Amino acid sequence: MIRFLIKGVLRDRARSLFPVLTVTAGVFLSVVGFSWINGIQSNWVEVTAIYNTGHLRVMSRAYADEVEQVPNDLAYIGVDQLLGNLRQDFPELIWTPRTKFGGLLDIPDEKGETKVQGPCMGMALDLLSEDSPEKELLNLKDSIIRGRLPEDPDEILITEEFAQRLGISMGETATLISATMYGSMSIANFTVTGTVRFGVTAMDRSTIIADISEIQRVLDMENTAGEVLGFFKTNLYDNEQAEEITERFNAKYSDKEDEFSPYMGTLLKQSGMEDILGMVDMYGEVIIIVFIVVMSIVLWNAGLMGSLRRYGEIGVRLAIGEDKGHLYRSLITESLIIGFIGSVIGTMLGLLVSYYLQETGINIAFMMKDSTLMMSDTFRADVNAVSHYIGFIPGLAATFLGSLFSGLGIYKRKTSQLMKELET
Amino acid sequence: MTLFKLAFRNLIGAGLRTWLNVVVLSFSFVVIIWMQGVLKGMNNQAVTSLVDAEYAGGQFWHENYDPYDPLSLQDAHGKLPDELKGLVEKGKATPVLIIQGTAYPEGRMMTLLIKGIDPEQKIISLPSSFLNEKTEEIPAVIGNRMSENTGLKAGDTVTLRWRDANGTFDARDALIVQVMRTTVQSIDQGQVWIPLERLRELSNMGGEATLLIVGRDISDPPQVNGWEFKSLDFLVKDITQLVKTKTSGSSIFYVILLLLAMLAIFDTQVLSIFRRKKEIGTLMAMGFTRAKVIGLFTIEGAMHAVLAALVAALYGIPFLTWFAKTGWPLPESMDSYGFALGEKIFPVYSAGLVIGTTLLILLVTTLVSFLPTRKIAKLKPTDALRGKSS
Amino acid sequence: MKHVIRIFIFPLILMMTAGLTGQEQLPDGDWILEKVDENYGSDNKIMTATMVIHGRRGSREVTSKTWVKGDDQSFTEYLAPPREKGTKMLKLGDQLWMYSPSTDRTIQISGHMLRQSVMGSDLSYEDMMEDPKLQNMYSAQVTGEESYMDRPCWVLELTSMKEDIAYHSRKIWVDKERFVALKEDRFARGGKLLKTTEVKKVEKMDNRWVPTHALFRDVLKSGQGTEFVVGSMEFNAEIPDYIFTKAALRR
Repeated sequence: MIRFLIKGVLRDRARSLFPVLTVTAGVFLSVVGFSWINGIQSNWVEVTAIYNTGHLRVMSRAYADEVEQVPNDLAYIGVDQLLGNLRQDFPELIWTPRTKFGGLLDIPDEKGETKVQGPCMGMALDLLSEDSPEKELLNLKDSIIRGRLPEDPDEILITEEFAQRLGISMGETATLISATMYGSMSIANFTVTGTVRFGVTAMDRSTIIADISEIQRVLDMENTAGEVLGFFKTNLYDNEQAEEITERFNAKYSDKEDEFSPYMGTLLKQSGMEDILGMVDMYGEVIIIVFIVVMSIVLWNAGLMGSLRRYGEIGVRLAIGEDKGHLYRSLITESLIIGFIGSVIGTMLGLLVSYYLQETGINIAFMMKDSTLMMSDTFRADVNAVSHYIGFIPGLAATFLGSLFSGLGIYKRKTSQLMKELET
Repeated sequence: MTLFKLAFRNLIGAGLRTWLNVVVLSFSFVVIIWMQGVLKGMNNQAVTSLVDAEYAGGQFWHENYDPYDPLSLQDAHGKLPDELKGLVEKGKATPVLIIQGTAYPEGRMMTLLIKGIDPEQKIISLPSSFLNEKTEEIPAVIGNRMSENTGLKAGDTVTLRWRDANGTFDARDALIVQVMRTTVQSIDQGQVWIPLERLRELSNMGGEATLLIVGRDISDPPQVNGWEFKSLDFLVKDITQLVKTKTSGSSIFYVILLLLAMLAIFDTQVLSIFRRKKEIGTLMAMGFTRAKVIGLFTIEGAMHAVLAALVAALYGIPFLTWFAKTGWPLPESMDSYGFALGEKIFPVYSAGLVIGTTLLILLVTTLVSFLPTRKIAKLKPTDALRGKSS
Repeated sequence: MKHVIRIFIFPLILMMTAGLTGQEQLPDGDWILEKVDENYGSDNKIMTATMVIHGRRGSREVTSKTWVKGDDQSFTEYLAPPREKGTKMLKLGDQLWMYSPSTDRTIQISGHMLRQSVMGSDLSYEDMMEDPKLQNMYSAQVTGEESYMDRPCWVLELTSMKEDIAYHSRKIWVDKERFVALKEDRFARGGKLLKTTEVKKVEKMDNRWVPTHALFRDVLKSGQGTEFVVGSMEFNAEIPDYIFTKAALRR
């Protein structure tokens, strides 16, 4: 019977096309809507991830305990090998070392004495390697306000606000007074080649960005780094996957007894944003559930309508002797077929669009007046396993239920009435 | 009989079918507005909780105070001028004194800010009342992140060291009387809250403050020498920017929701026309012009939307208002500890959202009702009468 | 201030009256302080010393040579390890400059920087820069006698005379015969012990008693502190004046 029905559906395009289109549209919207909401959590954490914790972060245990204090004396020694291990064991992420540091930025006059001085926060990252992910992550090239990106190890970027406060021009020397990881005073000259803006006051105040290899030399941190950040190549933060990776890593490399062994933590745990993200997650789930319910109601209604209008045909079939049960079942099967076809097509189209939204995302720059954030202001969807079948809930279940209920009318009405409806 | 009356009669005549469609469409209405409200509220939550916990109606800063330069704290404190003292006395503002200090949890050394606040204050949601505890040591409140970073829990003592107004070292033990659970990092990370008078005494800064938090009912802050007023707009500038970015993301979802509503009405309309070909033929045979027939069906479709709006208003308004008032509390996490600041998400429905959505749905419905009826234009009355679709 | 004077005067009167009745009396605290400061001397000195800094990840040694003039001028050149070698510091009164040969920069360390730790040790620049003459900052009172390192000592309690002294009070154990402070406790205003200095070895150099090995510790944090070992000490040295100039830093 099914083959007969399928043939019927496929051939009688005029009649079946419309319900299939309806289901397809509903399923499509469900898949895209779901994937979009899924992406919300990722979007919320993007800034924290890029500037602070990455999606995953590896530090020495001792450093991790006091991370707020930026205790470089407890930094991780042996970062070259650590990077090697990470890149080999967890290739689904991009790994990059960073060191935060603090100090004074001192601008000399012609005699080499202090002209102006100010406290500064520093971010040392891989600016110079060919394949460094940092330039893209931080969108540095497009965020330069004055000057240019550093090309040599002793060149640095500073924030525009800082540069203005210090009255420094591009190409001028700035001396960093800081402490090596062993406590000695470290004094090193740098050339300021460019300015950037973060759009976050705390950072714009007094931040400098330097190349990590030079900072390693200057702060006596050879083969050492404060932290190693990992970013999923998909650009999306997946907490489950992140947790699983940290478990594997810590089991293999971390040692509770050795406070200088590496320790990996997820963005969620380390950013102090667990509460907020938990909230975003929960509300997102509720929104999805409500959305699916409403979509299901809409499609159920469509299914209902679809069957209702066939009462005439039903009347005829009953009149020619088709068994009521058989009729009912065939109606339901038909609706299942339609629901299935619609769901499949709708899911495929939905996934297509969702993937596009995931990879390319929607750039909301046009909606923002002066977007000064260094991060790319792109919103992404997040396609996961659920995206692949969520459409079937309204698509299949709803249509099925719709015809289930409307089909009951068959049992209620008299054949003659049904046939009369044929006339209307 | 006017088209409207006819349209209306048809709708009512169709009975259950009409109401089913109307109810479904009304769901879409309410859900769209509700969801947008929640998404906006979620995005705003960061700002709302920040304002509740730290900024209230704005702050007066001592002229030397620079929140981004902890070294400036040494010079950023002074006695409150009379106008500001007046505000404090009336309960409309509360002073905060901040000094830099060091804490020694478990033998580690960590720099932090020691903030003094009046335990009785009601201006910000920070649970300062816990500081009323009478203890030998200095009673202190810390946030949950600070608690995690330091390993200090309620009931633990920790040595605090600082330098008083003259630069002399002082060190005392503080007792953590409560850990507060909050999403606002700026009242949590790297700081400890103690009673204002104790801090003033211990630091030799009697009657002084670093900043003054003003209540939300202050409309016109006075101009005072040596103290600068920072409005809420200024204080939340960064976060507002971030929120705007996120809100634009939710507008994409709005589009998806609208499409959902469109879908709801579309299939009803198309079906209706498809089924009523005979009726269309009859009407045309009776003398209705094509335009009138198209008009009739379009109006029927639009009426669906109007009825749906009315029905939606019926149950939607009480529901949404109740929801907006009660808000949606933050989920309690598994290992929740500390005094929760009771943060909630409050959905944000702007009049613009409601009116805009209503008009949009009306417009879309009318359009969606109109499009299929154009098919009617192609029908020959004679074919239509016979039920054929030409 | 009145508080301090009250504490000071009453026992002094007691001591004086005790003297009148012929009882055994404790010497005047301030007088002992004076003797301690005298032993240190206001002449020019040249000394080499090594600072051993115990950190969480191991210990480091930094060796330096210091020229001292009077009470408030000093010039230090770091000799080892290689990273530090050539770095110079000049103290004139309450001003401190540092010269770094690698960058050819002379930098003044002022204000908040002074509160930073020196080379990661338990001392801050401020600690290093403080007036070596305790009598200028504190009034003293003998509160007892104790033996420390097998030496009979007077125990003195010092209370700050001015409001802006970093350590409100101190307790020192002074060798009765040699007038060298063998142990020093520094206290916060509330009475909490903050830092301690323990002398491990005293040697006679050029007819004066010099603590040649001392351990300085920040008591509130866990850690093994910072050690000072004096290599050589020359008293009444001939030091040309130009050394105590900023220009000398760059030579």
